[in-house]
Amino acid sequence: MMKIYFELNGEPVYTEIKPGEMLLDLLRRLGMKSVKEGCRTGECGACTVLLDGKPIRSCLTFAAKAKGHRITTLEGLGTPEDPHPLQEAFLEAGAVQCGFCTPGMILVAYHLLSHNPDPSPDEVRAAISGNLCRCTGYVKIVDAVLTAARWKREGKWRKER
Amino acid sequence: MAIKRYHYARDVEEALSLLLAYEGRGALVAGGVDVARGLPGEIEGLIDITAAGLSGISREGGRLVVGATATLEGIRTSREVKAYMGGFLSEVMGHVATLSLRNMATLGGAVVSAHPWADIPTALIALGAEAVWRNEERTERAPVEELYARPFRAIFRRAVLTEIRLPAWDGAFAFEKLSRNAGDIALVNCACGLGLDAEGKIAWARVAVGATPYRAERLVAVEELLAGEVPSEALWEEAGHRAAAEARVGDDMRASAEWRRAVIPVIVRRALERAGRAVMGDR
Ligand SMILES: Cc1cc2nc3c(=O)[nH]c(=O)nc-3n(C[C@H](O)[C@H](O)[C@H](O)COP(=O)(O)OP(=O)(O)OC[C@H]3O[C@@H](n4cnc5c(N)ncnc54)[C@H](O)[C@@H]3O)c2cc1C
Ligand code: FES
Ligand code: FES
Repeated sequence: MMKIYFELNGEPVYTEIKPGEMLLDLLRRLGMKSVKEGCRTGECGACTVLLDGKPIRSCLTFAAKAKGHRITTLEGLGTPEDPHPLQEAFLEAGAVQCGFCTPGMILVAYHLLSHNPDPSPDEVRAAISGNLCRCTGYVKIVDAVLTAARWKREGKWRKER
Repeated sequence: MAIKRYHYARDVEEALSLLLAYEGRGALVAGGVDVARGLPGEIEGLIDITAAGLSGISREGGRLVVGATATLEGIRTSREVKAYMGGFLSEVMGHVATLSLRNMATLGGAVVSAHPWADIPTALIALGAEAVWRNEERTERAPVEELYARPFRAIFRRAVLTEIRLPAWDGAFAFEKLSRNAGDIALVNCACGLGLDAEGKIAWARVAVGATPYRAERLVAVEELLAGEVPSEALWEEAGHRAAAEARVGDDMRASAEWRRAVIPVIVRRALERAGRAVMGDR
Protein backbone atom coordinates (compact mmCIF):
# COMPACT_ATOMS: atom_id res chain seq x y z
CA MET A 1 0.00 0.00 0.00
CA MET A 2 1.07 3.61 -0.51
CA LYS A 3 -0.39 6.96 0.49
CA ILE A 4 -1.16 9.71 -1.98
CA TYR A 5 -2.53 13.20 -1.72
CA PHE A 6 -4.70 14.74 -4.41
CA GLU A 7 -7.64 17.04 -4.90
CA LEU A 8 -10.99 15.41 -5.65
CA ASN A 9 -13.77 17.73 -6.77
CA GLY A 10 -12.14 20.62 -4.94
CA GLU A 11 -11.62 18.72 -1.69
CA PRO A 12 -8.25 17.48 -0.43
CA VAL A 13 -7.96 13.69 -0.26
CA TYR A 14 -5.20 11.81 1.52
CA THR A 15 -5.71 8.12 0.98
CA GLU A 16 -4.12 4.70 0.77
CA ILE A 17 -3.95 3.03 -2.60
CA LYS A 18 -2.57 -0.20 -3.97
CA PRO A 19 0.45 0.66 -6.15
CA GLY A 20 -0.99 -1.14 -9.19
CA GLU A 21 -4.60 -0.06 -8.88
CA MET A 22 -6.48 1.96 -11.45
CA LEU A 23 -7.93 5.40 -10.86
CA LEU A 24 -11.36 4.04 -11.84
CA ASP A 25 -11.34 1.64 -8.88
CA LEU A 26 -9.98 4.22 -6.45
CA LEU A 27 -12.63 6.78 -7.37
CA ARG A 28 -15.48 4.29 -7.06
CA ARG A 29 -14.10 3.16 -3.71
CA LEU A 30 -14.15 6.80 -2.62
CA GLY A 31 -17.86 6.87 -3.49
CA MET A 32 -17.65 8.49 -6.93
CA LYS A 33 -20.12 6.08 -8.50
CA SER A 34 -20.64 8.30 -11.55
CA VAL A 35 -17.36 6.87 -12.81
CA LYS A 36 -18.47 3.82 -14.78
CA GLU A 37 -16.67 0.75 -15.95
CA GLY A 38 -17.73 -0.04 -19.49
CA CYS A 39 -14.85 -1.87 -21.11
CA ARG A 40 -11.65 -1.34 -19.11
CA THR A 41 -9.73 -1.27 -22.39
CA GLY A 42 -9.97 2.42 -23.24
CA GLU A 43 -12.63 2.11 -25.91
CA CYS A 44 -15.91 3.37 -24.44
CA GLY A 45 -15.29 6.53 -22.42
CA ALA A 46 -17.71 5.61 -19.60
CA CYS A 47 -14.86 5.98 -17.09
CA THR A 48 -13.88 9.51 -18.21
CA VAL A 49 -12.77 11.94 -15.49
CA LEU A 50 -10.86 15.22 -15.67
CA LEU A 51 -7.24 15.39 -14.55
CA ASP A 52 -6.22 19.02 -14.11
CA GLY A 53 -9.24 19.89 -16.24
CA LYS A 54 -8.44 17.53 -19.12
CA PRO A 55 -10.44 14.40 -19.93
CA ILE A 56 -8.67 11.09 -19.37
CA ARG A 57 -9.75 7.45 -19.18
CA SER A 58 -9.61 6.41 -15.54
CA CYS A 59 -9.70 2.70 -16.42
CA LEU A 60 -6.23 2.94 -18.01
CA THR A 61 -4.78 5.49 -15.58
CA PHE A 62 -2.86 4.25 -12.58
CA ALA A 63 -4.34 5.73 -9.39
CA ALA A 64 -0.79 6.69 -8.39
CA LYS A 65 -0.84 9.21 -11.24
CA ALA A 66 -3.44 11.29 -9.38
CA LYS A 67 -0.79 12.22 -6.81
CA GLY A 68 -0.58 15.99 -6.52
CA HIS A 69 -3.22 16.58 -9.21
CA ARG A 70 -6.82 17.79 -9.44
CA ILE A 71 -9.39 15.14 -10.33
CA THR A 72 -12.94 16.09 -11.29
CA THR A 73 -15.80 13.62 -11.56
CA LEU A 74 -19.42 14.35 -12.38
CA GLU A 75 -20.09 14.63 -8.62
CA GLY A 76 -17.90 17.73 -8.71
CA LEU A 77 -20.08 19.42 -11.31
CA GLY A 78 -23.54 19.08 -9.82
CA THR A 79 -25.79 17.20 -7.44
CA PRO A 80 -29.41 16.06 -7.78
CA GLU A 81 -30.43 19.06 -5.63
CA ASP A 82 -28.21 21.49 -7.49
CA PRO A 83 -27.60 20.11 -10.96
CA HIS A 84 -25.07 21.61 -13.34
CA PRO A 85 -26.60 23.33 -16.41
CA LEU A 86 -25.15 20.55 -18.56
CA GLN A 87 -27.06 18.02 -16.47
CA GLU A 88 -30.23 20.08 -16.82
CA ALA A 89 -29.72 20.35 -20.57
CA PHE A 90 -29.26 16.56 -20.86
CA LEU A 91 -32.53 16.00 -18.99
CA GLU A 92 -34.38 18.63 -20.97
CA ALA A 93 -33.19 17.27 -24.33
CA GLY A 94 -33.98 13.67 -23.41
CA ALA A 95 -30.30 12.83 -23.85
CA VAL A 96 -30.30 10.30 -21.01
CA GLN A 97 -31.71 6.81 -21.38
CA CYS A 98 -29.92 4.18 -19.30
CA GLY A 99 -27.49 6.88 -18.21
CA PHE A 100 -24.36 4.75 -18.23
CA CYS A 101 -22.53 6.95 -20.75
CA THR A 102 -23.89 10.23 -19.36
CA PRO A 103 -21.20 11.13 -16.79
CA GLY A 104 -18.45 10.70 -19.40
CA MET A 105 -20.45 12.59 -22.02
CA ILE A 106 -21.05 15.52 -19.66
CA LEU A 107 -17.39 15.71 -18.63
CA VAL A 108 -16.09 15.80 -22.21
CA ALA A 109 -18.80 18.37 -23.04
CA TYR A 110 -17.78 20.42 -19.99
CA HIS A 111 -14.18 20.36 -21.18
CA LEU A 112 -15.24 21.39 -24.71
CA LEU A 113 -17.34 24.31 -23.46
CA SER A 114 -14.58 25.45 -21.12
CA HIS A 115 -12.46 26.42 -24.11
CA ASN A 116 -15.09 26.73 -26.86
CA PRO A 117 -18.40 28.18 -25.65
CA ASP A 118 -19.82 28.32 -29.19
CA PRO A 119 -19.13 24.93 -30.78
CA SER A 120 -20.61 23.84 -34.10
CA PRO A 121 -22.59 20.57 -34.12
CA ASP A 122 -19.56 18.95 -35.79
CA GLU A 123 -17.27 20.19 -33.04
CA VAL A 124 -19.62 18.68 -30.46
CA ARG A 125 -19.66 15.39 -32.37
CA ALA A 126 -15.86 15.39 -32.52
CA ALA A 127 -15.64 16.09 -28.79
CA ILE A 128 -17.92 13.19 -27.85
CA SER A 129 -16.57 10.84 -30.52
CA GLY A 130 -14.59 8.82 -27.98
CA ASN A 131 -17.65 8.21 -25.80
CA LEU A 132 -19.97 5.41 -26.80
CA CYS A 133 -23.70 5.53 -26.16
CA ARG A 134 -25.65 2.34 -26.83
CA CYS A 135 -29.09 3.90 -26.27
CA THR A 136 -29.68 7.36 -27.66
CA GLY A 137 -28.19 7.49 -31.14
CA TYR A 138 -26.26 10.64 -30.11
CA VAL A 139 -28.63 13.18 -31.71
CA LYS A 140 -30.12 14.29 -28.41
CA ILE A 141 -26.74 14.32 -26.71
CA VAL A 142 -25.48 16.76 -29.35
CA ASP A 143 -28.67 18.83 -28.90
CA ALA A 144 -28.14 18.89 -25.14
CA VAL A 145 -24.55 20.11 -25.44
CA LEU A 146 -25.57 22.82 -27.91
CA THR A 147 -28.36 23.92 -25.54
CA ALA A 148 -25.97 24.07 -22.58
CA ALA A 149 -23.54 26.05 -24.72
CA ARG A 150 -26.26 28.56 -25.58
CA TRP A 151 -27.18 28.88 -21.90
CA LYS A 152 -23.53 29.48 -21.10
CA ARG A 153 -23.26 32.25 -23.71
CA GLU A 154 -26.48 33.78 -22.38
CA GLY A 155 -24.92 33.91 -18.91
CA LYS A 156 -27.34 31.33 -17.53
CA TRP A 157 -24.64 29.17 -15.95
CA ARG A 158 -25.25 30.51 -12.45
CA LYS A 159 -21.80 29.79 -11.16
CA GLU A 160 -18.73 28.55 -12.93
CA ARG A 161 -17.79 25.28 -11.32
CA MET B 1 -1.41 -7.77 -10.54
CA ALA B 2 1.28 -8.27 -7.99
CA ILE B 3 2.58 -4.71 -8.05
CA LYS B 4 4.45 -3.95 -4.86
CA ARG B 5 5.74 -0.44 -5.54
CA TYR B 6 5.09 2.58 -7.70
CA HIS B 7 8.07 4.88 -8.17
CA TYR B 8 8.13 8.41 -9.52
CA ALA B 9 11.48 8.80 -11.31
CA ARG B 10 12.85 12.34 -11.20
CA ASP B 11 15.27 11.92 -14.10
CA VAL B 12 16.50 9.39 -16.64
CA GLU B 13 19.33 8.17 -14.39
CA GLU B 14 16.93 7.33 -11.59
CA ALA B 15 14.49 5.63 -14.00
CA LEU B 16 17.26 3.55 -15.50
CA SER B 17 18.83 2.53 -12.22
CA LEU B 18 15.45 1.49 -10.84
CA LEU B 19 14.67 -0.45 -14.00
CA LEU B 20 18.00 -2.27 -13.87
CA ALA B 21 17.70 -2.94 -10.14
CA TYR B 22 14.41 -4.77 -10.69
CA GLU B 23 16.18 -7.19 -13.05
CA GLY B 24 13.19 -7.81 -15.28
CA ARG B 25 10.58 -7.41 -12.55
CA GLY B 26 10.12 -3.68 -13.14
CA ALA B 27 8.36 -1.77 -15.92
CA LEU B 28 8.54 1.81 -17.08
CA VAL B 29 5.22 3.64 -17.10
CA ALA B 30 4.72 6.67 -19.33
CA GLY B 31 1.04 7.29 -20.03
CA GLY B 32 0.51 3.76 -18.81
CA VAL B 33 -2.37 2.96 -21.14
CA ASP B 34 -0.64 -0.11 -22.55
CA VAL B 35 0.98 -1.10 -19.26
CA ALA B 36 -2.49 -1.01 -17.69
CA ARG B 37 -3.94 -3.25 -20.36
CA GLY B 38 -1.37 -5.99 -20.27
CA LEU B 39 1.02 -6.24 -17.40
CA PRO B 40 3.11 -9.40 -17.28
CA GLY B 41 2.62 -11.30 -14.03
CA GLU B 42 6.25 -11.08 -12.99
CA ILE B 43 6.23 -7.27 -12.72
CA GLU B 44 6.56 -6.00 -9.14
CA GLY B 45 7.65 -2.41 -9.58
CA LEU B 46 6.28 0.36 -11.76
CA ILE B 47 8.54 3.28 -12.59
CA ASP B 48 6.66 6.38 -13.69
CA ILE B 49 8.78 8.50 -16.01
CA THR B 50 6.34 11.32 -16.76
CA ALA B 51 8.18 13.67 -14.37
CA ALA B 52 11.65 12.63 -15.53
CA GLY B 53 12.12 15.66 -17.75
CA LEU B 54 11.46 13.88 -21.05
CA SER B 55 8.39 15.79 -22.23
CA GLY B 56 9.98 18.62 -24.21
CA ILE B 57 9.27 19.41 -27.85
CA SER B 58 11.74 21.59 -29.73
CA ARG B 59 13.02 22.55 -33.16
CA GLU B 60 16.69 22.20 -34.03
CA GLY B 61 17.08 23.89 -37.38
CA GLY B 62 14.52 22.19 -39.60
CA ARG B 63 14.50 19.14 -37.35
CA LEU B 64 11.91 18.34 -34.70
CA VAL B 65 12.90 16.73 -31.42
CA VAL B 66 10.12 15.20 -29.33
CA GLY B 67 10.72 13.92 -25.80
CA ALA B 68 9.64 10.35 -25.11
CA THR B 69 6.97 11.35 -22.59
CA ALA B 70 5.40 14.16 -24.65
CA THR B 71 1.70 13.25 -24.79
CA LEU B 72 0.05 12.63 -28.13
CA GLU B 73 -2.34 15.54 -27.53
CA GLY B 74 0.56 17.76 -26.47
CA ILE B 75 2.22 16.88 -29.78
CA ARG B 76 -0.96 17.40 -31.78
CA THR B 77 -1.43 20.92 -30.41
CA SER B 78 2.24 21.99 -30.22
CA ARG B 79 3.24 25.06 -32.20
CA GLU B 80 6.63 23.50 -33.01
CA VAL B 81 4.93 20.39 -34.38
CA LYS B 82 2.49 22.43 -36.46
CA ALA B 83 5.45 24.29 -37.95
CA TYR B 84 7.26 21.05 -38.86
CA MET B 85 6.57 19.62 -42.35
CA GLY B 86 3.33 21.53 -42.77
CA GLY B 87 1.84 20.09 -39.58
CA PHE B 88 2.06 16.50 -40.85
CA LEU B 89 2.69 14.93 -37.43
CA SER B 90 -0.06 16.99 -35.86
CA GLU B 91 -2.43 15.64 -38.53
CA VAL B 92 -1.34 12.08 -37.77
CA MET B 93 -2.01 12.54 -34.04
CA GLY B 94 -5.51 13.72 -34.90
CA HIS B 95 -6.14 10.22 -36.27
CA VAL B 96 -4.97 8.49 -33.09
CA ALA B 97 -7.70 7.29 -30.72
CA THR B 98 -9.54 10.11 -28.94
CA LEU B 99 -8.71 13.13 -26.84
CA SER B 100 -9.04 11.42 -23.46
CA LEU B 101 -6.57 8.75 -24.54
CA ARG B 102 -4.19 11.20 -26.21
CA ASN B 103 -4.06 13.23 -23.00
CA MET B 104 -2.32 10.26 -21.35
CA ALA B 105 -0.58 8.27 -24.09
CA THR B 106 2.95 9.29 -25.02
CA LEU B 107 5.07 9.11 -28.16
CA GLY B 108 7.70 6.98 -26.41
CA GLY B 109 5.03 4.53 -25.29
CA ALA B 110 3.74 4.30 -28.86
CA VAL B 111 7.25 3.65 -30.22
CA VAL B 112 8.07 0.96 -27.65
CA SER B 113 4.66 -0.74 -27.81
CA ALA B 114 4.85 -0.65 -31.60
CA HIS B 115 1.36 -2.06 -32.10
CA PRO B 116 1.24 -3.42 -35.66
CA TRP B 117 -2.19 -1.80 -36.12
CA ALA B 118 -1.02 1.61 -34.96
CA ASP B 119 -0.64 4.78 -37.02
CA ILE B 120 2.34 6.34 -35.29
CA PRO B 121 4.96 3.78 -36.42
CA THR B 122 3.80 4.18 -40.03
CA ALA B 123 4.31 7.93 -39.87
CA LEU B 124 7.64 7.70 -38.04
CA ILE B 125 9.04 5.14 -40.46
CA ALA B 126 8.05 7.25 -43.47
CA LEU B 127 9.63 10.30 -41.84
CA GLY B 128 12.87 8.49 -41.13
CA ALA B 129 12.53 9.21 -37.41
CA GLU B 130 15.43 8.34 -35.18
CA ALA B 131 15.04 6.94 -31.66
CA VAL B 132 17.49 7.87 -28.92
CA TRP B 133 17.76 5.76 -25.78
CA ARG B 134 19.93 5.38 -22.74
CA ASN B 135 21.15 2.05 -21.45
CA GLU B 136 23.61 1.07 -18.74
CA GLU B 137 26.67 1.85 -20.85
CA ARG B 138 25.79 4.72 -23.16
CA THR B 139 23.33 6.72 -25.21
CA GLU B 140 22.35 4.90 -28.40
CA ARG B 141 20.43 5.93 -31.45
CA ALA B 142 18.93 4.24 -34.48
CA PRO B 143 16.25 4.91 -37.07
CA VAL B 144 12.90 3.63 -35.77
CA GLU B 145 12.69 1.43 -38.86
CA GLU B 146 15.98 -0.23 -37.98
CA LEU B 147 15.05 -0.53 -34.32
CA TYR B 148 12.02 -2.62 -35.27
CA ALA B 149 14.28 -5.03 -37.14
CA ARG B 150 16.12 -5.64 -33.85
CA PRO B 151 14.85 -7.31 -30.64
CA PHE B 152 13.62 -3.91 -29.46
CA ARG B 153 11.41 -5.23 -26.67
CA ALA B 154 14.47 -6.77 -25.04
CA ILE B 155 16.40 -3.52 -25.54
CA PHE B 156 13.76 -1.51 -23.67
CA ARG B 157 13.65 -3.90 -20.77
CA ARG B 158 17.08 -2.44 -19.94
CA ALA B 159 16.93 1.05 -21.44
CA VAL B 160 14.97 4.28 -21.38
CA LEU B 161 13.89 5.80 -24.67
CA THR B 162 14.59 9.50 -24.26
CA GLU B 163 13.62 11.20 -27.51
CA ILE B 164 12.53 10.86 -31.10
CA ARG B 165 14.33 13.01 -33.66
CA LEU B 166 12.62 13.86 -36.92
CA PRO B 167 14.74 15.00 -39.85
CA ALA B 168 14.04 18.01 -42.02
CA TRP B 169 12.86 17.10 -45.51
CA ASP B 170 12.61 19.43 -48.46
CA GLY B 171 9.14 18.35 -49.52
CA ALA B 172 5.83 17.29 -48.00
CA PHE B 173 4.16 14.29 -46.37
CA ALA B 174 0.56 13.10 -46.17
CA PHE B 175 -1.10 10.40 -44.07
CA GLU B 176 -4.16 8.27 -44.85
CA LYS B 177 -6.04 5.89 -42.59
CA LEU B 178 -9.04 3.71 -43.25
CA SER B 179 -11.07 2.71 -40.20
CA ARG B 180 -14.64 1.83 -39.35
CA ASN B 181 -15.19 5.04 -37.42
CA ALA B 182 -13.25 8.09 -36.28
CA GLY B 183 -12.13 6.59 -32.97
CA ASP B 184 -11.26 3.13 -34.19
CA ILE B 185 -7.88 1.70 -35.08
CA ALA B 186 -6.78 1.39 -38.69
CA LEU B 187 -7.88 -1.31 -41.10
CA VAL B 188 -4.85 -0.15 -43.07
CA ASN B 189 -2.87 3.10 -43.14
CA CYS B 190 -0.09 4.77 -45.11
CA ALA B 191 2.25 7.74 -45.01
CA CYS B 192 3.86 9.14 -48.16
CA GLY B 193 6.39 11.91 -48.70
CA LEU B 194 7.72 13.60 -51.83
CA GLY B 195 10.31 16.18 -52.80
CA LEU B 196 10.94 17.74 -56.19
CA ASP B 197 14.17 18.70 -57.92
CA ALA B 198 14.79 21.94 -59.84
CA GLU B 199 13.17 20.51 -62.98
CA GLY B 200 10.01 19.51 -61.16
CA LYS B 201 10.84 15.80 -61.12
CA ILE B 202 10.53 13.71 -57.99
CA ALA B 203 13.86 13.96 -56.17
CA TRP B 204 12.93 11.59 -53.35
CA ALA B 205 9.89 9.62 -52.23
CA ARG B 206 9.03 7.85 -48.99
CA VAL B 207 6.19 5.36 -48.82
CA ALA B 208 5.20 3.34 -45.72
CA VAL B 209 2.14 1.16 -45.33
CA GLY B 210 0.98 -0.21 -41.96
CA ALA B 211 -1.76 -2.11 -40.15
CA THR B 212 -1.73 -4.62 -42.97
CA PRO B 213 -2.23 -6.10 -40.24
CA TYR B 214 1.54 -6.24 -39.79
CA ARG B 215 3.71 -3.44 -38.47
CA ALA B 216 4.46 -0.67 -40.94
CA GLU B 217 7.18 -1.11 -43.49
CA ARG B 218 8.67 1.06 -46.17
CA LEU B 219 7.99 0.03 -49.74
CA VAL B 220 11.34 0.83 -51.31
CA ALA B 221 10.31 -0.49 -54.73
CA VAL B 222 7.50 2.09 -54.83
CA GLU B 223 9.88 4.84 -53.74
CA GLU B 224 12.22 3.87 -56.58
CA LEU B 225 9.37 3.79 -59.05
CA LEU B 226 8.50 7.39 -58.14
CA ALA B 227 12.02 8.84 -58.06
CA GLY B 228 13.00 10.73 -61.19
CA GLU B 229 9.45 10.85 -62.55
CA VAL B 230 7.26 13.86 -63.23
CA PRO B 231 4.26 14.00 -60.85
CA SER B 232 0.97 13.04 -62.49
CA GLU B 233 -2.34 11.37 -61.67
CA ALA B 234 -1.23 8.34 -63.70
CA LEU B 235 1.99 8.08 -61.69
CA TRP B 236 0.12 8.09 -58.35
CA GLU B 237 -2.18 5.42 -59.72
CA GLU B 238 0.73 3.26 -60.84
CA ALA B 239 2.51 3.72 -57.50
CA GLY B 240 -0.67 2.71 -55.64
CA HIS B 241 -0.92 -0.54 -57.58
CA ARG B 242 2.75 -1.25 -57.10
CA ALA B 243 2.31 -0.65 -53.35
CA ALA B 244 -0.50 -3.19 -53.21
CA ALA B 245 1.68 -5.72 -55.00
CA GLU B 246 4.67 -5.07 -52.72
CA ALA B 247 2.99 -4.83 -49.31
CA ARG B 248 2.81 -7.85 -47.06
CA VAL B 249 -0.88 -8.23 -46.24
CA GLY B 250 -2.82 -10.67 -44.10
CA ASP B 251 -6.21 -11.47 -42.59
CA ASP B 252 -7.35 -10.51 -39.12
CA MET B 253 -10.68 -9.99 -37.38
CA ARG B 254 -11.01 -6.54 -38.96
CA ALA B 255 -10.31 -7.13 -42.63
CA SER B 256 -9.14 -9.74 -45.10
CA ALA B 257 -5.85 -9.71 -46.98
CA GLU B 258 -7.84 -9.44 -50.19
CA TRP B 259 -9.69 -6.35 -49.00
CA ARG B 260 -6.47 -4.76 -47.83
CA ARG B 261 -4.83 -5.39 -51.18
CA ALA B 262 -7.82 -3.81 -52.89
CA VAL B 263 -7.74 -0.60 -50.85
CA ILE B 264 -3.98 0.00 -50.61
CA PRO B 265 -3.88 1.53 -54.14
CA VAL B 266 -6.60 3.97 -53.08
CA ILE B 267 -4.96 5.22 -49.88
CA VAL B 268 -1.48 5.39 -51.42
CA ARG B 269 -2.84 7.35 -54.37
CA ARG B 270 -4.69 9.74 -52.04
CA ALA B 271 -1.61 10.31 -49.90
CA LEU B 272 0.64 10.88 -52.91
CA GLU B 273 -1.90 13.24 -54.44
CA ARG B 274 -2.04 15.33 -51.27
CA ALA B 275 1.73 15.29 -50.74
CA GLY B 276 2.18 16.16 -54.42
CA ARG B 277 -0.22 19.09 -54.20
CA ALA B 278 1.55 20.34 -51.08
CA VAL B 279 5.06 20.24 -52.64
CA MET B 280 3.89 21.82 -55.86
CA GLY B 281 2.10 24.49 -53.85
CA ASP B 282 5.45 25.25 -52.26
CA ARG B 283 6.96 26.28 -55.57
C1 LIG C 1 -8.00 2.45 -26.81
C2 LIG C 1 -6.73 2.69 -27.56
C3 LIG C 1 -6.81 3.20 -28.86
C4 LIG C 1 -5.64 3.43 -29.59
N1 LIG C 1 -5.76 3.93 -30.84
C5 LIG C 1 -4.63 4.18 -31.57
C6 LIG C 1 -4.71 4.69 -32.89
O1 LIG C 1 -5.79 4.96 -33.41
N2 LIG C 1 -3.54 4.89 -33.56
C7 LIG C 1 -2.31 4.64 -33.00
O2 LIG C 1 -1.30 4.86 -33.64
N3 LIG C 1 -2.23 4.17 -31.76
C8 LIG C 1 -3.34 3.93 -31.03
N4 LIG C 1 -3.23 3.43 -29.76
C9 LIG C 1 -1.90 3.10 -29.25
C10 LIG C 1 -1.34 4.24 -28.42
O3 LIG C 1 -0.71 5.18 -29.24
C11 LIG C 1 -0.34 3.66 -27.44
O4 LIG C 1 -1.02 2.70 -26.69
C12 LIG C 1 0.19 4.72 -26.49
O5 LIG C 1 0.84 5.74 -27.22
C13 LIG C 1 1.12 4.13 -25.47
O6 LIG C 1 1.69 5.20 -24.76
P1 LIG C 1 1.81 5.19 -23.16
O7 LIG C 1 2.62 6.37 -22.82
O8 LIG C 1 0.49 5.07 -22.52
O9 LIG C 1 2.63 3.84 -22.99
P2 LIG C 1 2.85 2.99 -21.67
O10 LIG C 1 1.69 2.11 -21.45
O11 LIG C 1 3.29 3.85 -20.56
O12 LIG C 1 4.10 2.13 -22.16
C14 LIG C 1 4.00 1.22 -23.23
C15 LIG C 1 5.23 0.30 -23.22
O13 LIG C 1 6.39 1.03 -23.48
C16 LIG C 1 7.28 1.03 -22.38
N5 LIG C 1 7.78 2.40 -22.31
C17 LIG C 1 7.03 3.53 -22.23
N6 LIG C 1 7.83 4.63 -22.29
C18 LIG C 1 9.10 4.17 -22.42
C19 LIG C 1 10.36 4.81 -22.54
N7 LIG C 1 10.48 6.14 -22.56
N8 LIG C 1 11.48 4.03 -22.65
C20 LIG C 1 11.37 2.67 -22.65
N9 LIG C 1 10.20 2.02 -22.54
C21 LIG C 1 9.07 2.76 -22.44
C22 LIG C 1 6.47 0.57 -21.20
O14 LIG C 1 7.25 -0.09 -20.24
C23 LIG C 1 5.50 -0.37 -21.88
O15 LIG C 1 6.09 -1.60 -22.15
C24 LIG C 1 -4.38 3.18 -29.00
C25 LIG C 1 -4.31 2.69 -27.69
C26 LIG C 1 -5.46 2.44 -26.97
C27 LIG C 1 -5.33 1.95 -25.57
S1 FES D 1 -14.16 1.72 -19.08
FE1 FES D 1 -12.57 3.10 -19.56
S2 FES D 1 -12.85 3.48 -21.64
FE2 FES D 1 -14.34 1.93 -21.23
S1 FES E 1 -27.87 6.46 -22.39
FE1 FES E 1 -27.44 4.35 -22.31
S2 FES E 1 -25.42 4.25 -23.05
FE2 FES E 1 -25.92 6.29 -23.38
